[in-house]
Amino acid sequence: MQFTIEVGRYNTENQYDPNAVPGPPFPPPWDSSPARRYQTFSVDLPEHAVVLDALIQIREYQDPSLAVRCACRSAICGSCGMWINGHANLACKSKLAEFTVDGKTRVESPPSMPIIRDLVCDMKPFWDKHLAVRPWLENKQPVPPSNQEYRVPNASMEELIQEVSCISCGACLMDCESFAVNPDFLGPQALAQAYRYVGDPRDAHTHERLGELSKPGGIWDCTHCFECVQQCPKGVAPLDQILKLRKLAVDAGYTNNPGTRHADAFAESVKHSGRLNELTLLPKSVGLFNIIGQLQTLPSAINMVRAGKLPPLIHKTIPGIERIRKIFQRVGGRFK
Amino acid sequence: MKVAFFPGCVSKGACPELYVSTQAIAEPLGLELNELTSAPCCGAGVMSEQNRDLTDALNGLMLAMAEADGADLMTICSTCQGVLSTTNYQLQHDEARLAKANATIADQGFRYGGTTKVKHLLWMLFEDIGIDRVAAAIKRKLTGLKIAPFYGCYILRPSEELGLRERPERKGYLERLITLLGAEPVEYRGATKCCGFPMLTFNRDKALAMGGNHIIEAKEKGADLLVTPCPLCHLNLDGQQPDAARVLKQDIDVPIFHLPQLLGLAFGFEPAQLRLNHHVVPTASALEKVELKV
Amino acid sequence: MIRDHDVIVLGAGLAGMRAALEAARCGADVAIVTKVHPIRSHSSAAQGGINAAIGEGDSWESHAFDTIKGSDYLADQDAVEVMCQEAPGDIIEFEHMGVIFYRGPDGRLGTRAFGGASQARTYFVGDITGQALLVTLYDQILKAGVKVYEEWFATKLFMDGGACRGMAVLEMVTGELHLLRAKAVVVASGGLGRLYEPSTNALICTGDGYSLAYRAGAPLMDMAMVQYHPTTLAGSGFLMTEAARGEGAYLLNSLGERFMKKYAPNKMELAARDVTSRAEATEIAEGRGIDGNVLLDLRHLGADVILKKLPQIHEMALDYLGIDMIKEPVPVRPGMHYQMGGVKTDVEGATIIAGLYAAGEVACVSVHGGNRLGANSLLDTIIFGRRSGRASAGYAKGTPASTGGEELLRSEQQRLQALLDRPYTGETCAGLRLELATMMDQKVGLYRSDVGLHEALEKLDEYRRRYENVAVGDKGRVFNQALTFVLELGFLLDCGETIIRDAIIRKESRGAHTHIDYPERNDTDWLKHTLLTHRGDGREPEVSHVPVTITRWKPEVRTY
Repeated sequence: MQFTIEVGRYNTENQYDPNAVPGPPFPPPWDSSPARRYQTFSVDLPEHAVVLDALIQIREYQDPSLAVRCACRSAICGSCGMWINGHANLACKSKLAEFTVDGKTRVESPPSMPIIRDLVCDMKPFWDKHLAVRPWLENKQPVPPSNQEYRVPNASMEELIQEVSCISCGACLMDCESFAVNPDFLGPQALAQAYRYVGDPRDAHTHERLGELSKPGGIWDCTHCFECVQQCPKGVAPLDQILKLRKLAVDAGYTNNPGTRHADAFAESVKHSGRLNELTLLPKSVGLFNIIGQLQTLPSAINMVRAGKLPPLIHKTIPGIERIRKIFQRVGGRFK
Repeated sequence: MKVAFFPGCVSKGACPELYVSTQAIAEPLGLELNELTSAPCCGAGVMSEQNRDLTDALNGLMLAMAEADGADLMTICSTCQGVLSTTNYQLQHDEARLAKANATIADQGFRYGGTTKVKHLLWMLFEDIGIDRVAAAIKRKLTGLKIAPFYGCYILRPSEELGLRERPERKGYLERLITLLGAEPVEYRGATKCCGFPMLTFNRDKALAMGGNHIIEAKEKGADLLVTPCPLCHLNLDGQQPDAARVLKQDIDVPIFHLPQLLGLAFGFEPAQLRLNHHVVPTASALEKVELKV
Repeated sequence: MIRDHDVIVLGAGLAGMRAALEAARCGADVAIVTKVHPIRSHSSAAQGGINAAIGEGDSWESHAFDTIKGSDYLADQDAVEVMCQEAPGDIIEFEHMGVIFYRGPDGRLGTRAFGGASQARTYFVGDITGQALLVTLYDQILKAGVKVYEEWFATKLFMDGGACRGMAVLEMVTGELHLLRAKAVVVASGGLGRLYEPSTNALICTGDGYSLAYRAGAPLMDMAMVQYHPTTLAGSGFLMTEAARGEGAYLLNSLGERFMKKYAPNKMELAARDVTSRAEATEIAEGRGIDGNVLLDLRHLGADVILKKLPQIHEMALDYLGIDMIKEPVPVRPGMHYQMGGVKTDVEGATIIAGLYAAGEVACVSVHGGNRLGANSLLDTIIFGRRSGRASAGYAKGTPASTGGEELLRSEQQRLQALLDRPYTGETCAGLRLELATMMDQKVGLYRSDVGLHEALEKLDEYRRRYENVAVGDKGRVFNQALTFVLELGFLLDCGETIIRDAIIRKESRGAHTHIDYPERNDTDWLKHTLLTHRGDGREPEVSHVPVTITRWKPEVRTY
């Protein structure tokens, strides 16, 4: 079966195929380096072939100068994370037939990462973030003698298989929307790995870790867009791990941050009126005594008032609010 | 057709134009809106982070109300849709969680049996109302307008819970609708991206940059306006647009329409009836192209 | 550029990183050189588990006996004793480092059954055991701050005065050739699966270390012993872990029979790998296969066991064959998987070359002899990785810093430039590699014959001549993979030649080496290892033999 592949080429030495054409610029703020070109290849492969099969065939028999990382071909080594039709995917797990749109499949190095050559990006931002969460066990004392393991329930180990299944392909970070505007954000993979150690009953630094993760760049800088859950080829669901960390951090007392205030104010409004009150949510989240923060939100508030958009000053409660309040009482926990 | 209608907090608060325009288009579409006035906020994914049992119960209550009505639950907000779809999926797949939620709402006289379908207006247009009926209601083609769709995360992701695996076509409804209304959809990456709103209170400048970048991309691709099925996206993209422009040091000035406003225009309503004169970013530039004034 | 370290480890899989961690703990200035990021290493593909006699009622002697019997008595028993005695401690150490091993109801480490073992002694993490060990070890390397030269490709070992003193290395991202000097070198660069098509191995398993060490003068031992894994996925050849059978899966032929009852009535599907692979090949050859495959049936295990304990192979069968193993059996066949032979070392990882150590698949201690037991390879990497790290650091302590090497750097630069300058003649690297690998599978695979092996040797000579005409299809400097592929093909040719020669020499059938002209094991003449030593291009290697070390287990007839 014939497949058409459009490959994003990039080479600082500027050796392009003469037929390669310049690609469209990438949206800001991503890399829109003019050195990129798209080159079209046609490959003959079985119907069930994956994108990596096509790339290997191109590299082996059509253009040996195509640079692409790959090793295991079976979604274990994590080498071939790249952009396929504008989203991060593993080339070895993406069926050509499913990824053929308008008769072709486009592959390229993710513009959210620095590029080295063709489909090979510089993973340094990814590994730096991984290192930043101190991804190793800080052993709980006393460490058992050298002939004995820590005795922990199997369920506590099984709970971590999801995070340990991470193959560091980088797909989550490549498509992370917070990372796209905030290079300091630790990102989905590193935070999932942070949870892997926070959630480990053998780790002694749970509290310190949660404190670090509550700082700027950490768990509260995630925009909750689900891209990482969508792109992860191994079901790690990084966002789920980030949300677990948020809860653990709040439970551990790390509540002096806009994220916790936002959640508290949100719940308070719902408990009070059954609905969200946007009027009080923003100032309460920023912190009522954070004068600078309050002033930053002021121009927007004035714009909204001018447009006649601001929520009614008297926030009405929904009918049957008592029912809602009873549910709050009955469930208990935070927000009670 | 009769639907259990959950307008969401924002359409009853900071985006009254969404509520008004939804009411306006209901009749031409043959929608009988049975508003769930006593349904609580869905929690927007914020409350569930800290107290999942609570949001299970609150959303379970809302799902039970719709179930009692014997109607599908219609949303007009991507965020409500995402939260309700996800909770519904989880309650339907996890008996223990469903039982727990039911135990909480039982003494309020409610029980959720797990049968409610939650559908955004956008989906209903294609799946229930029927595209022929939409086409028949068009009185004013929006020819000449280039419109960039902006879905909002939670109507697309997580795709399993939102039923996009069975219905992958849901990823393209906005583009199809724009075409149907006579306008031209703008293809750009931002269409399926995050507006930044969930981060607005934690990391204001980055959140503004996030939304602003998508609008700029659409503008560079020729968009006259963006249309969104999510009022939270609207709050960020319209309400905060002047601030985003300041952060990005670049003029933006692209009006943002709610989905029902766009439908309403095509159905022949006047801009003021759809409160298109109550946006932070003036809508005049786009309306002029279809020879309308606010 | 020239840089100096005490110890340089080539390869960042489990053996390499374990060696580096140990050398660092011993106070050495150690650096890792790896052609891929450590996490990409092929150790991550080991699925089923790692063996140790920890549980009550088990003993290291039992583990050792199973290993030796599995090896068809070609393993050196002193080395096996070391490995099996130290196994429990090393596994506990990895547990303390953070590996999330499966637990029993009492919270203590739990096991699963594996092939060729008299007891369930395989410790595991789902079916991602190798990956779980690898990421944990990588994070320990980060914690220890070990220097990693990542995506650096070794082209030649630096020899000075008969000792190994470092290596010439190509930095892929810049295209610059460096000289990394060291007092000791540990080669831990993994296997050679790309020599066979199909193979379970990754594209990066190109036998680099075998060839580099061989050309530096280290003998290669028992290279004929190439393992075919019984369950590789139809088509792609990806590994379907032995843990599937460990958890109770059946092997079925086209008649729906559990055919292993004819070949291994006691152990059934859990016979040693060589036995099981030959049984499958026999079924297929006698017409009871299904399109060249047999069936691996997991249905009776139920969705819960499959999804919790074997999620990765469930996903792979679904992704690459569209088969849900919860509902349908999976077609599998024997496929090339592992090289038991390799660079001859002692139990400290030392080769006969001063300053040169080896560990992991590339090395041959020999603990696997003629056939490796499942879940002994991970064990081999961490035990002998640790030991070679310690030994190399100790050696480095008493050794003065290396000097010189500029000449090697110049000559390697010239060699690479000459490769780049070669004109295109129509001979492609990929085409030649595929021919070589297909030939190896057909003539030097599960069954061998005198005629076939001599044809193979002739073919190999032809491929060597044609290799001289292979041009590098990329003239750039940045990330020139076309260049490294050509270098890798050179490594593979050395591996292929030594495998074929060793197979020709061994006139018996033992373990993975099944010779149809000599179908019986012959302990009188062949209870010995074969060593091949390089004597220069165009010359046949020197052949020598050393006896197998027997401590307490006398060779017996092998049945399962």
